[in-house]
Amino acid sequence: MVIHLKHTRRCVLAALLLAGAASPALAQDVPAGYPADYADVIAAARKEGAVSIYTSTDQAQAQPFLDAFTKRFPGIKIEYNDLGTNGAYNRVISEAAAGQVGADVVWSSAMDYQMSLAKEGHAGAYKSPEAKNVPDWASFKDTLYATSVEPIGIIYNTKALPEGKVPKTRADLIKFLQDNKTELKGKIASFDPEKSGSGFLHHTNDVRQTKTFWDLAKAFGAIGGRTYSSSGAMKETVVSGENVLAFNIIGSYGLQWAKESPNLGVAFGTDYTPAFSRLALITAKAPHPNAAKLLLDFMLSQEGQNALAKGGMPSVRTDTDQGFNAKTLNERVGGNLQPIKLDEGLLEYLNPQKRVQFFREWKASLSGS
Amino acid sequence: MAAEGKTAGSPMGGVWTGPAAPARSLTRRGGDAGLFRVVVIGLLAVAVLTPVGLIVYQSFLSAPFFSKSAVLSLEAYEYVFTDPSFYEALGTTALIAFGMVAVAVPLGGGLAFLLTRTDIGGKRLLEILVLVPMFISSVVLAFGYTVSVGPAGFMSLFVRDILGFVPWNLYSLPGIIAIAGLSHVPNVYLYLSAAMRNLPSDLEEAARTAGASVWRVSLDVTLPMVLPAIVFAAALNLLLGFEMFGIPLVLGDPNGILVLTTYTYKLTTLFGVPTYQLMAAVAMVLILITLPLVYVQRRLLRHSRRFAALGGKGARTTNLKLGRKGQAIAFAVIGLWLFVSVALPIAGIVLRAFVNAWGEGVDLFAQLTTANFHRLLEVPSLVRGIVNTVLISAVGGALAVGIYLLIGLAGHRNRGVSNTILDYLVLLPRALPGLVIGLAFFWVFLFIPFLTPLRPTLASLFIAYVVVGLSYGLRLLQGTLLQVSPELEESARTTGATIGRTWWDVVIPIVRPGLAGAWALIMIIFLREYATGVYLMSAGTEVIGSLMVSLLQTGAMDMIAALAFISILLTAIGLTLALRLGARIHD
Amino acid sequence: MTELIATNVQKWLGGLQILKGASFTAERGSIVALLGASGSGKTTLLRCIAGLEQPEIGQIRIGDKVALDSERGIALPPEQRNIGLVFQSYALWPHRTVKENVGYGLKLRGVDGPEMGRRIQAILDKMGLGHLADRYPDQLSGGQQRVAICRALVYEPRVLLLDEPLSNLDAKLREEARYWIRKLILDLEICAILVTHDQTEALAAADHILLLKDGRIVQEGAPRDIYSNPRSFYAADFLGANNIARGRVTLVTGDRATVAGHGWELSGTVRGAERLAPEADAQIVIRVERIGVSDAPGPNRLPMQLDDSLFLGDRWEYRIRSGDFAAKAHGSQPIAPGPVWCEFPPESVWVFPAA
Repeated sequence: MVIHLKHTRRCVLAALLLAGAASPALAQDVPAGYPADYADVIAAARKEGAVSIYTSTDQAQAQPFLDAFTKRFPGIKIEYNDLGTNGAYNRVISEAAAGQVGADVVWSSAMDYQMSLAKEGHAGAYKSPEAKNVPDWASFKDTLYATSVEPIGIIYNTKALPEGKVPKTRADLIKFLQDNKTELKGKIASFDPEKSGSGFLHHTNDVRQTKTFWDLAKAFGAIGGRTYSSSGAMKETVVSGENVLAFNIIGSYGLQWAKESPNLGVAFGTDYTPAFSRLALITAKAPHPNAAKLLLDFMLSQEGQNALAKGGMPSVRTDTDQGFNAKTLNERVGGNLQPIKLDEGLLEYLNPQKRVQFFREWKASLSGS
Repeated sequence: MAAEGKTAGSPMGGVWTGPAAPARSLTRRGGDAGLFRVVVIGLLAVAVLTPVGLIVYQSFLSAPFFSKSAVLSLEAYEYVFTDPSFYEALGTTALIAFGMVAVAVPLGGGLAFLLTRTDIGGKRLLEILVLVPMFISSVVLAFGYTVSVGPAGFMSLFVRDILGFVPWNLYSLPGIIAIAGLSHVPNVYLYLSAAMRNLPSDLEEAARTAGASVWRVSLDVTLPMVLPAIVFAAALNLLLGFEMFGIPLVLGDPNGILVLTTYTYKLTTLFGVPTYQLMAAVAMVLILITLPLVYVQRRLLRHSRRFAALGGKGARTTNLKLGRKGQAIAFAVIGLWLFVSVALPIAGIVLRAFVNAWGEGVDLFAQLTTANFHRLLEVPSLVRGIVNTVLISAVGGALAVGIYLLIGLAGHRNRGVSNTILDYLVLLPRALPGLVIGLAFFWVFLFIPFLTPLRPTLASLFIAYVVVGLSYGLRLLQGTLLQVSPELEESARTTGATIGRTWWDVVIPIVRPGLAGAWALIMIIFLREYATGVYLMSAGTEVIGSLMVSLLQTGAMDMIAALAFISILLTAIGLTLALRLGARIHD
Repeated sequence: MTELIATNVQKWLGGLQILKGASFTAERGSIVALLGASGSGKTTLLRCIAGLEQPEIGQIRIGDKVALDSERGIALPPEQRNIGLVFQSYALWPHRTVKENVGYGLKLRGVDGPEMGRRIQAILDKMGLGHLADRYPDQLSGGQQRVAICRALVYEPRVLLLDEPLSNLDAKLREEARYWIRKLILDLEICAILVTHDQTEALAAADHILLLKDGRIVQEGAPRDIYSNPRSFYAADFLGANNIARGRVTLVTGDRATVAGHGWELSGTVRGAERLAPEADAQIVIRVERIGVSDAPGPNRLPMQLDDSLFLGDRWEYRIRSGDFAAKAHGSQPIAPGPVWCEFPPESVWVFPAA
């Protein structure tokens, strides 16, 4: 609670300063390398006084970042709405239809939904001054920005599975499932793409990037694999020993959990480690457009990226020192980190036919036919 | 005839000795209450029919109703009725609902018999304990079970150490049925114990003196007399079974067991675009299943009045002597049931709330921590969720009692057409799962212009809660109102008071103690609610239950456990308060 | 033949003693009335006989069976006592037809189908209910009471217990009912115990009356005996229509005593066990019908003031007064207000010590 006290004091201080100076943003508020007129954005944002985020990220995880933002821009209140991937997407669409846009920034790990929002015109174009500090692949047409790079990997129970036996590659994993049918029966977990947007993204990305996904799915189905709607639920079962191993889960969480949980190990494919990003966009009719810009820019800034990484979301930049960044992460996962690209390919599986076809095949693989 | 002596009946209704048919009706002298009735029933109609109507309308569209491409069509039904998963979910739902009834009714009936008809010891405490599962949100319960009897739960591991294997599987259909059945025992118990309590004792004594043994009497008199209450309880639980969301959400997930409610929940992901028309179509299917059940309940209520005229003295019942052996067996059965349905889930939650990890080979003592709560307190939305939950339960509960009282008065000793309308209005929301009503209210607050400012406030949630809790709350208030003997009201009328004056000067002062109890009970009901808020949740309207559903999506089990623990703590406080205020949790 | 013997039945409820040692016997072919005000323990006593209540102390014998013996730890459950009980509320089972209600006791006793049907029909016909056999209790417009009696009688119990069976009937029907119930019981030659708070009912229907007060039998005897020879002020006051006065004893000679108040003096008979001493406070009870009113003096006549004559239909009621003594008397003619002579036969003026 100490942090909170500090906040209050800072807020009071800031309020005093503002009241005393009665001036627009001070020049020193503008971060280095930003255009000079950015002071106007800050001043306008302060006037707006609030910024609303629709997101799929638990607030607990985002808290270091939110604190950093509030510290940097006191007086701008963050309304944080954790709605889940579907919730955020559906609500943005519904509100737009009702002409009641509530979100300034949509920040979601469902990259396909985010791309769809951008394509459907729900995102406003904004060229962030930080854009030059993130890799080219990490932004899309000045509307979508990747704010993290998070590996997709495996967690396993170290009691049930010694580190040496953990599969290192896709091929290993398939063989591992095929060779240990009896021991692993009902003890392997993965995402349920029917219930989880993240799971859907991870699996369909594999379909697009690898040739062996359906072999994996079949092997998974053959041993009575169990599906979950969240990484957290899978971690719970792997730690408790209910499951031995879970694959295609959010590996950045895994790295975090492995530090605090007994019995939990985390592994990444050395041949191929896909990674997704949480994408941020500013809504087309954002009620607080300036505050939204401030938030997005801060999200991509070195300070913001460090704060995100502190919450367990590795940075897309390479110049951060908290947690992992794009470079250190690549080293950690064995050198074959392959971030999911921000392009229209993401929309492929939003196509109803493709979607139905994927689900059909997925179910068929699982039921072993 | 004997009827003259009986004034108040059971507020639970579904029993033989329901409200005595008040031969003296005040309606003919309607007068000044007419306008009041029209206004209240009219407002209620708007509050209930708007969201329900929206769902009906949505189900006949090809796309979300706000989408430009939406046209009238039967596409949604076509999709649903040709989707194999739908039939699978429907079948599973029916199986779970009937299975649950098969578990809950005999157990609840047995408990009611033991606690109302025998001299079993410690009744006072037992009567409270057996109701506990009813007051805990089913998400919380289900979550607690995963920690205690899940595949790696502490109880499972303990049993496995003894037997060498775990004889049950929580995440299976039988597992879900067992848990659902056990946790609905209080619902059955509540109705049947009221019926048995209100059964005039002379009907049983007459059979005793005619030469029937105790067991013979139970079989020949008690059972047929409480049969309508049994059917009523079964119908109610069947309905609850069809609308169950929390238990299948938590326990059905890992093995892909879908019921209708979780099927609608999943439809959205399946399509990647909002598929409200499909959800609405499934909701319509649910209505078609549940409305007949609601109708059966109503029929039973009316039917029961027929017999109300007959009974004699109800108060004195001679209790069956169980004997030492009987006591021991009864205690063992009740103890086992309490252990499974109260101790296991709560122990699971308490345990999980104070550790980071559990399961095989995990030393729980090394894991003990209060970190979950520290972390929870650092997240504003969660803290706000707790504050909001307390607010909406305590303050909202009090407001709701006021609203239900107004509605109750509008229907009080009113035997006109408006009362039939009122009855159905009250029962309609019950035919829909809270999740769907919450979604409909989300639309209402999004698209009805003058209501939009309410959406990000607790007011939106409050209105939805009032509608969802309508049938329970009103039954509570109606029961209280019926305790006022008609003569007391009639004497006020003949002295010259208008209906309104009579309510204000006679009825309300008399029922005031009952209102406090009703408040406490509605508070608990609002406390445990989780499904209604799922779609209405935004920054500022978080409540514990909905936060838990939302957190389940990302799997933040630490936070869920801490919230569940707090939820149980609040429930305990609420229950204590209810008992202090003399809430009649038994009728 | 003695069918029922109750000896020293004592019953507590919580800390309160409801029955303080009731003893009595009942014979076949006779009716015993348990008469008393509410709270006197009469219903409790009946329920103890039925086995619906468990007395802490006492013995009860029904027929040749010991139903209760507190010393030997015997307490038969109601179903083994072979009794029939008619409830005040009738307690007809709403889920059974009249026939099924009545036949239940036979079914329990294993009577076979045709025999059972015959017996049900016989008793229903006897009671004039034959045509209602297939109705449900709520479809009867009257006659529930007769159904309840049929149900209790059809299996020919040793003792028939009736708990205020007439209290739910209106006055006219009640008179009829008490006549036919009495006739029925005498015809069937069974033993019946009737609980009532209505003295007329007890006097008219019973062969033997037990008067209960506070859980004790204060007097018992044949109706005529108990009416005309009350042994206590309570018994005297409970039965009949009475005039009551309080005064002071002025003279006692043998069983005669003279009592005086303000402006009056009456001589009467000392009743009750206690002796009366001069100067003691006393209460007198005079049955209304024993006072004669006339216009001339005579033996045992006192001058009094008549305030009013009230017409009661079959007779006139006179309101008479002398000092602080006010009384009612009956006669066949109206009398104009004014001075009158009232006759008080000393054997009808009962003197009791004041409580």
